[in-house]
Amino acid sequence: MVRLPDNVHAGDNTVIHGDIAFKRFLSKQVPGLVIGAQCTMDGVQFAVGAQGRIDIGDYCYFTNAVLLCELSVKIGNYVVIGWNTTIADTDFHPLEPALRIADAVACSPLANGRPRPAVAQRPVVIEDDVWVGPSATILKGVRIGAGSFIEPGSLITRDVPPRSRVAGNPAAVVGPV
Amino acid sequence: MSMSADRTLPWDWYSGTVPQNVQLADSAYVESTFSFYLFRSERDDAVSIGQGASAYLGTMFDVGASGRVTIGDYALINGARIVCDAEITIEDYVLVSWNVLLMDSYRVPADPDARRELVKRVPASVLRRFDAYGPALPIRIGRAAWLGFDCCVLPGVTVGEGAVVGARSIVIHDVEPYSIVAGNPARLVRRLTPEEINHGR
Repeated sequence: MVRLPDNVHAGDNTVIHGDIAFKRFLSKQVPGLVIGAQCTMDGVQFAVGAQGRIDIGDYCYFTNAVLLCELSVKIGNYVVIGWNTTIADTDFHPLEPALRIADAVACSPLANGRPRPAVAQRPVVIEDDVWVGPSATILKGVRIGAGSFIEPGSLITRDVPPRSRVAGNPAAVVGPV
Repeated sequence: MSMSADRTLPWDWYSGTVPQNVQLADSAYVESTFSFYLFRSERDDAVSIGQGASAYLGTMFDVGASGRVTIGDYALINGARIVCDAEITIEDYVLVSWNVLLMDSYRVPADPDARRELVKRVPASVLRRFDAYGPALPIRIGRAAWLGFDCCVLPGVTVGEGAVVGARSIVIHDVEPYSIVAGNPARLVRRLTPEEINHGR
């Protein structure tokens, strides 16, 4: 069991295992992370930036997932996320090389208070009853429709319609569930 | 290099034991009994690890009640997640890199309504684990095959003898012996030449 930061709320009969859950939890939002009731968060990393907020519904089951959030990650109820899966709502750094140089300086020990340039960020939404297989990657701006089945290793860069089975890199719909 | 009489490992950082139904060859090396943290097979012959084989930190035997895992002689498992409800066979001299996933079962129904009913039951159980569900299809990794890091081998797959699976591949179809596959889904890159197959024999 781990000690929860003050701006983290976890519902009834929810368990969070692992020493690294909040190692990179820097959210200044109140709350910065809401986990519903009856959830199992086993070895999950909540790597949340100052402006980030994660909402997780009831009866969710995540194993060794990495949630990287600088803006908003919303996950519904009865969502299962497999081992080694990464979800990110941000690009982390700018696309343009000149801005990336500015970012490198702003991130360095010589930053001297320089602000970081803006980085592309778009919310991620995973609706109810989604199963995300192990080693999948879900990138910024994606909405995964209710009941979908994400095969192991999928790289999701676009919205997934409800009740669809997706696979591949980049992931494509391969059929209904 | 051997297990103590009380089934602990002298070098272990984790205070666990090797389960009774895990058979370790005298010269086999398991880095930590933490690898059996998720182990719950009830079979007498649940796991066997051969002579000179090694299972390093990060390897997890996530083996269900009727699962069986066989690891051959000199096999090197450098941190794999082995999700097994039926049978996973890793033959002699196989190399498995870090973060590899071998799963012979999805453990959940594809139908979201049926899945919700199953997911709802998990937090009521003490261990909070998914038990066997639906068909588990055995996996076999042939002699001297090599699985690159982060790759996933899905239910029912056989990787042929001497094959190479590229890093981060997702293997959903059988892999021919002495071939190289890569990608998601993994596809044939090329076959080894007779010279390569016979080199060093």
